[in-house]
Amino acid sequence: MSSVISVNSLTKQFGNARVVSNLNFEVVPGVVTGFLGPNGSGKSTTMRMIMGLDTPTSGTALVNGKRYAELNWPLREVGALLDAKAFHPARTAYDHLRCLAYTNGIPLARVEEVISIVGLTEVANKRAGKFSLGMGQRLGMAGALLGDPGVLLFDEPVNGLDPEGIRWVRNLLRGLAAEGRAVFVSSHLISEMALTADRLVVIGRGALIADTTVRDFTALNGGDAVRVVTPHVERFVAAVRRAGGEVDLVPDESVAVRGMTSAAVGELIARECLVVHELTPVRASLEDAFMELTRDAVEYRSAGSTQGALVGSGREGEP
Amino acid sequence: MTANTAAPALPGGRYGLRQACRAERAKLFSIRSTWWTLFVTVVGTLVVTVLSTSSAAHHPRGWYQGFDPTNQSMSGLAIGALAIGVLGALVFTSEYGSGTIRSSMTATPRRLSFLLAKLLVVGVLALAVGEMLTFSCFALGHAILGSSPLPAWNLTDPGVLRAVVGSGVTIGLLGLMGAAIGAAVRRTAGAIGIYAAFLFLLPLLLTKMPGNLARFTPLIIIANSIAAVVRQGAFVSPLVGFVLLACYTVAIILLGAAVVTRRDP
Repeated sequence: MSSVISVNSLTKQFGNARVVSNLNFEVVPGVVTGFLGPNGSGKSTTMRMIMGLDTPTSGTALVNGKRYAELNWPLREVGALLDAKAFHPARTAYDHLRCLAYTNGIPLARVEEVISIVGLTEVANKRAGKFSLGMGQRLGMAGALLGDPGVLLFDEPVNGLDPEGIRWVRNLLRGLAAEGRAVFVSSHLISEMALTADRLVVIGRGALIADTTVRDFTALNGGDAVRVVTPHVERFVAAVRRAGGEVDLVPDESVAVRGMTSAAVGELIARECLVVHELTPVRASLEDAFMELTRDAVEYRSAGSTQGALVGSGREGEP
Repeated sequence: MTANTAAPALPGGRYGLRQACRAERAKLFSIRSTWWTLFVTVVGTLVVTVLSTSSAAHHPRGWYQGFDPTNQSMSGLAIGALAIGVLGALVFTSEYGSGTIRSSMTATPRRLSFLLAKLLVVGVLALAVGEMLTFSCFALGHAILGSSPLPAWNLTDPGVLRAVVGSGVTIGLLGLMGAAIGAAVRRTAGAIGIYAAFLFLLPLLLTKMPGNLARFTPLIIIANSIAAVVRQGAFVSPLVGFVLLACYTVAIILLGAAVVTRRDP
């Protein structure tokens, strides 16, 4: 499937700070692509450059093959929720959307439609300044959906939402992707991405760390482990090493064994006649994988050299 | 929304100034501050004209030697001049202050179209308000001074219509100046401060200096060149006044345009 967002060698420098560094990735239609990175890693700046709000220092961000400002009907091609407060507090939700609709020749019937999709019908004629953060997010969503676009960008859309709202956003994003649209959604919440996204673009300090699927990302990073609590730590560690396993000593007196199944660890313990207080299989989470990858440059580089899905680039440019 | 279609076909053509102007007009009239500022512009101007012209009536005939009734009727425009600049500035600063600017610029990403649409809408509104005000001021002044020992004077008298229409046009230009300052400065307080200083403080400072430079400042041009029928020697002619005001407006608009196109929101 051809990509609809294409980011090529994108770099943004604010004074001495390089916020986005030689970033390359593509977003394809029909799936939710998660844009993952810690706070301050350059996600919002990247999205703002895609939307033409920030001018790149170098490189390009293209939507449907064009720079955003060159699109014929921008709101009908790309919808974006970049910030939950991008409206005038004194203007009603309906008027805010009506003004946006005029700019791209969108019929006013569509305004009513998106208001009902996001569930703001009852407050449509209230001033948006009175809205809660969650309602503001919904109004932003309505703005993104207004032009019925094939490409959608959402920057931290679940921020400030209650659990019901979070589930609503998740279903909405998945539904939009199922309709064949490209959905590009940023988050610093790994757990949220695990539930929502199919593909992942991971960045740290403005540089690309991984461009992969959620499944591969978890499988390749961290892997599974068996956690063992035993009073005979030294004998146990020696036995594991003889059996070819790897050991991480965890500060709370437990031992994490890698490269062995929990059954193999149990049999080893029986053979060695060790006392064990606890034996727990630990499944690697996306979160662990993420922490592992973003911890620091050195670890990420050594991981990148052995794992094919990881992309090693960009760190050299850091100030 | 149809299943499995990425997006419906796009209509022909592309977004442009017409769509942007329509949106800007809707934006302007969908917030209350616009109506408040217009209210202050209109009521402030008319009240000051009535009060100041009333105090000029009831004098003996000799007092009116060299008196300019049209100019007297326009006295309230000083208030209108300030308020219309505030209205203009708010057109931009309220967007930057609230974050609306990001929605606006994704909807109209070509920034010159965006800027031009705002200027057109606020310029046309300020011009319409200005003409309405100057003709109202003239009518009020005529009614109040009609009972004075002043000789009769009408719109058809030489120079009167030019002064009335011209004064209205200056309100339109001031609205544009306020807007362009707002675009360049982005903050409401800063923009209004700079606008007020440009209008009121600058002539005060310049009168203290040699060379009578104050006559080239906007408010002095409006009050003593354009709104005047009885020509005062120390001031520039109405035509020169207009050219100067137009140049100031264009210069400030170019500055605002440079900032809007170059500095990211």
